[in-house]
Amino acid sequence: MSLPDRAGAIARHEFRMMRHNPGLFLQLILMPLVMMAFLKGAFREALQGEGYAGANGAEQAVPGLTVMFAFFFSGDVAFAFFREHGWRTWDRLRASPASSVEIMVGKCAPSFSMLAVQQTLLLLMNAAIFGMHIRGPLPALFAMGIAIATCLLAMGMAMAAIAKNTQQLNLMGSLGAIALSGLGGAFTPLSALPQWARAVAPASPGYWAVRGYRTVILDGGGLTAIAPMVLMLGLFTLGFAAVAAFRFRFDEAKMALM
Amino acid sequence: MLKVRSLRKSYGNVVALDGVDLDIAPGQILGLLGPNGAGKTTLVSIVCGLRRPDSGLVEVDGVDAVAHAHAVRPHLGLAPQEVGVYPLVTVRENLVFFGELHGLRGRALASRIDEVAHALGLAPLLSRRGTELSGGERRRLHTAMALLHRPRLLLLDEPTAGADVRTRNDLLDLVRSLAAGGAAVCYSTHYLPEVETLNARVALLESGRVIASGEVATLIAAHARAAVELTFDGPPPDVNGHGPVERDGNVVRIRSDRPAEAAAAVMQSLGPDASRLQSVEIVHPSLESVYLALTGRRYEGEQAEEAEIVSA
Repeated sequence: MSLPDRAGAIARHEFRMMRHNPGLFLQLILMPLVMMAFLKGAFREALQGEGYAGANGAEQAVPGLTVMFAFFFSGDVAFAFFREHGWRTWDRLRASPASSVEIMVGKCAPSFSMLAVQQTLLLLMNAAIFGMHIRGPLPALFAMGIAIATCLLAMGMAMAAIAKNTQQLNLMGSLGAIALSGLGGAFTPLSALPQWARAVAPASPGYWAVRGYRTVILDGGGLTAIAPMVLMLGLFTLGFAAVAAFRFRFDEAKMALM
Repeated sequence: MLKVRSLRKSYGNVVALDGVDLDIAPGQILGLLGPNGAGKTTLVSIVCGLRRPDSGLVEVDGVDAVAHAHAVRPHLGLAPQEVGVYPLVTVRENLVFFGELHGLRGRALASRIDEVAHALGLAPLLSRRGTELSGGERRRLHTAMALLHRPRLLLLDEPTAGADVRTRNDLLDLVRSLAAGGAAVCYSTHYLPEVETLNARVALLESGRVIASGEVATLIAAHARAAVELTFDGPPPDVNGHGPVERDGNVVRIRSDRPAEAAAAVMQSLGPDASRLQSVEIVHPSLESVYLALTGRRYEGEQAEEAEIVSA
């Protein structure tokens, strides 16, 4: 058997578990949709104040909340490893013919797909439902989606490596998602953030994620215009991946309360 | 199929394995016996490559299992002590996953799932999710996942712990049939009667060392002698003259080839101490008495059902 065979078997298994877990769909797609409906109007004035005269508010609410819920999902990426410990299946998996690389690839590929699909679906559905006008080219939007999904996957892996138990993971996932996406302008346009928050915002991948989406949606920017944001997200990805590679131990016992 | 030599493993100051030697040939069942903490789980984990030994040799089919764990794993089937199944997916999906991990696909996988599910009484449960299974059903699924790919070396770590009678019987039948098919089976347990039922070879592990190994009948013939065990309220009285005596707290043990006669004679000789007698137990020659003879202690487990207990 080759790497794709065993990694594929693990990925298919992860997809089967996702299929049996409709809560994931609610968390990733439905909840942000509902919140967008409530918040869209509140952002209209802010965007118009920034000079986007034709904006209806969805141009801020949609990328902001899409990024925020994607950040929440990075906790699920890590939880995919923790629950194996809670179910006592981790050692069984390690004792199978699957190598460490195959286990990583097999468990991460479905999470990456979910993140990429969530980004794409939310942006396109909202364009249709809330009349969000995307001024830039779609390939640029997809490029941002891929860069964000990759970064959050690496962030999830770093959390899986660092957290010792599910309480720590929940704390990291929730606080991280709120802080990092909030700094990026997920809750409110960056111009409305306090001065100190605006100063530290570039230290958050959420900032580059929201800024990239806004560049395409509001400013009509293409691949060249989003290149700096993609690059910054790439650097964050490398940082998170380095933490994961340095810290993740396959034989480390994780306390997982299921 | 499995060769273990001078295997040592410590966790800090705690010695888990202290120079273990073992062999299991194809078609052979080895009952790995020992009380909790004897080192059984550590040994199984090392064979599977889940833990690294401090020193020693582990070979599976001639391949160094420590240095080349990845090469060995396709031939192994592991059912760890704690039940590990995926609760979110169905029984069939659990089995499909482990079958696919071992390269089974399509019709071969489907037919093997049917075969194993039938043998373990899982056939009516294939579309049920893990969360909907009883403890015994989960235990059966847990074991089925380990043997779907027809491993050449099957490692079952206390497979019947907490299992109901039906599950236990199904598992024992299956283990026998797997060995008859050529698999080498390492059956770790602390239920001595199971090993006698399986007619397995035995390795008795105590504090990380193999203190006895061989066929059940050979070990019993070499080490076991029946005994009468009397438990008193307070220190046991002097009961000499009926055979070799051992004292262990409130318990006095008299070894005898005719334990019933010895029990009657001892009780007649107790005098006023008879009022302090709490129980009399006849321990027949068995693996338990082998353990008793080798360690001077009763075996910790569910073996008490083997003994005849006479309330005083």
